[in-house]
Amino acid sequence: MRKKQRTNEILYDNGAGERESYWSLVWRKYRRSGIAMLGSVIVTVLILLALFPEFFSTEDPVKLNMRHTYYPPQLIRLVDLDGKLRFPLVAYGVKQTLDPRTMIPKWGVDKGQPFKVRLFVHGYRYKILGLVPCDLHLFGANGDGYVYILGADKFGRDLWGRICMGSRITLSMAIFGTIISILLGSTLGIMSGYYGGWADNLLQRFIEFVQSFPQLPLWMALAAVIPREWDQLSVFVMMSLIFALMSWTLLAREVRGKVLAMRETEFVLAAKEMGASDARIIFKHLFPNNLSQIIVELTLTVPSIVLAESFLSFLGIGIQEPLVSWGTLMRDSQTIQTLGFHLWITSPVIFILLAVLGFNFVGDGLRDAADPYSRH
Amino acid sequence: MSDTILEVKDLKQHFPLRKGLFGKVYNYIKAVDGLSFSLTRNEVLGLVGESGCGKTTVGRSIVRLYDPTGGEVWYDDGEGNRCDLASLSKEGMKPYRRDIRMIFQDPFSSLNPRFTVKDVIAEPLVIHKVAKGAALEERVSDLMTEVGLDPNYMNRYPHEFSGGQRQRVGIARTLALRPKLIVADEPVSALDVSVQAQVLNLLSRLKDELGLSLIFIAHDISVVEHISDRVAVMYLGRLVEIAPSEELLRDPKHPYTEALISSIPPADPDIKMARIRLEGDVPSPTDQPSGCAFHSRCRYAKDICKAEAPAPREIGPEHRVRCHFAGELSLRGISD
Repeated sequence: MRKKQRTNEILYDNGAGERESYWSLVWRKYRRSGIAMLGSVIVTVLILLALFPEFFSTEDPVKLNMRHTYYPPQLIRLVDLDGKLRFPLVAYGVKQTLDPRTMIPKWGVDKGQPFKVRLFVHGYRYKILGLVPCDLHLFGANGDGYVYILGADKFGRDLWGRICMGSRITLSMAIFGTIISILLGSTLGIMSGYYGGWADNLLQRFIEFVQSFPQLPLWMALAAVIPREWDQLSVFVMMSLIFALMSWTLLAREVRGKVLAMRETEFVLAAKEMGASDARIIFKHLFPNNLSQIIVELTLTVPSIVLAESFLSFLGIGIQEPLVSWGTLMRDSQTIQTLGFHLWITSPVIFILLAVLGFNFVGDGLRDAADPYSRH
Repeated sequence: MSDTILEVKDLKQHFPLRKGLFGKVYNYIKAVDGLSFSLTRNEVLGLVGESGCGKTTVGRSIVRLYDPTGGEVWYDDGEGNRCDLASLSKEGMKPYRRDIRMIFQDPFSSLNPRFTVKDVIAEPLVIHKVAKGAALEERVSDLMTEVGLDPNYMNRYPHEFSGGQRQRVGIARTLALRPKLIVADEPVSALDVSVQAQVLNLLSRLKDELGLSLIFIAHDISVVEHISDRVAVMYLGRLVEIAPSEELLRDPKHPYTEALISSIPPADPDIKMARIRLEGDVPSPTDQPSGCAFHSRCRYAKDICKAEAPAPREIGPEHRVRCHFAGELSLRGISD
């Protein structure tokens, strides 16, 4: 009898079922933004390049070949020089001549060397992710042919292959640095806002101290003191740490501000009133409610570290050979000669631009999508 | 078994105001300044007053969201344990948090938007390790039925519910640990009038069924009168009058209570009301008036009111007033 009376109080009863989770709501909103989808495509492609650089490259990027020094980019043609449709596609070899008066080398198309370009060819041997041996490549010329789609550098190494290799270092450093920066920034920010008092005061003054350093000179100084004899991995980790330590402050500030406001909202008070521990309030209530902020900041920190890394490596105080990053590749284009005669050496710039734009687009899209509950 | 579940003695809650780099305390906000009352088992005490008078602070001090600056809060669990909540440590308070629960004012901000309704209602059960797994789900489902929600909705998020439904979720969360005493902090003031009645009915039904004692905080005396056995009127951190609801409404003894009652709109729109308008705002709690705190707005104020603070006086059974002229003034209650 009482049961019956209660069901009368139920306000709406029209076939309730499982509801969409938070992430599916975010995805639905995110999908609607064209620029964010473009960003996701760029980011996905770059991450694939970074994961499987050897698969995408056509020539071995570490093999020296002095005869191919500064070969210009080769076009992959559907229509050959005789005006005939070609399938498989064709790329002509490069013919090198010397200008008789200035003795400057000139490059032309060698009609006598048409290389057939196919998909999924077997080329130089490598290991997938350093583990699984393989010799399959996405595309390339068969046999003795060569394809340098972005040209070759001064040692005759394939620039496209080197860019693929560089994307691994640059992006992994950016992502690794970002993760450290985000962990640091969000933890300290939440603590600072939640506990308040002298701890908050101390941390905020410390953040001001860090922020008041002129960033570039500090980066350069820190990067310059890394000992030259360190192994590659240590240098890599150290560089990431330097970038992380410089970039966590902004997030810490933002999160602290949000937590400061959230600390007095009723759902946090309610959790306290239930007897929830500080850890529970921080990880179950404050952290998830700051997640959108943190993710957006994450996608914006990645490009800033990509830029910083490129900048330092370009100046020669970041990543060192034999490690390859987009920044170290850019070092080769420091000369006037490059700008005058082999402009293709500057092509890593395009990838830096793409990475920065791509991650920024994703960040913008997420910023709008991350709060699907922001209706009231 | 003692009949009194809660006895508040001279409760004080002062918030320091700080300034400068080192946070030097230069003044205090005296949000609650010497408040005493007691609550009988299965009784509903209404606590009314205008915004900023310290009602919410009283509630939060009792459940120890704030650490009281002074005074005692004696809680009797009915099984022979009597304990001063105000003196307990954070850890020592934890077992009592099962018995004493709070309902929050704003159903929009009191539920974590990232939690499903199930997570919200289950949270106290999880924190106090009462149930888990299938048993937990069953408890949540029972609680939802109890407050008039369809348990099929338990995996939805709070933003998919209306204000009234959200407040029911909040009430289910409060009931989850089978508390004995509930501090309801303006549970209906954020709701539409039609929904207010539903939630009030729900609360009073639950109170009877579960044998709850309730402190019901509101700024609207007309909301309180239906549900309360007794009503306490607060002004600037102090009780000015406390009496059984019927008596308080019919025969108020404090000018402030009279003014509050005169602001209740009559059910018949044709009735002309002689509403008493209080001039100005509540004085600042940092800088309280001398003498009787209400003298700056009281239309019956005399010289003595400015000079001397009145002591609470017993003027009838369970009827206490803090006014120099209690019983001497002829004040208007509800006209029927």
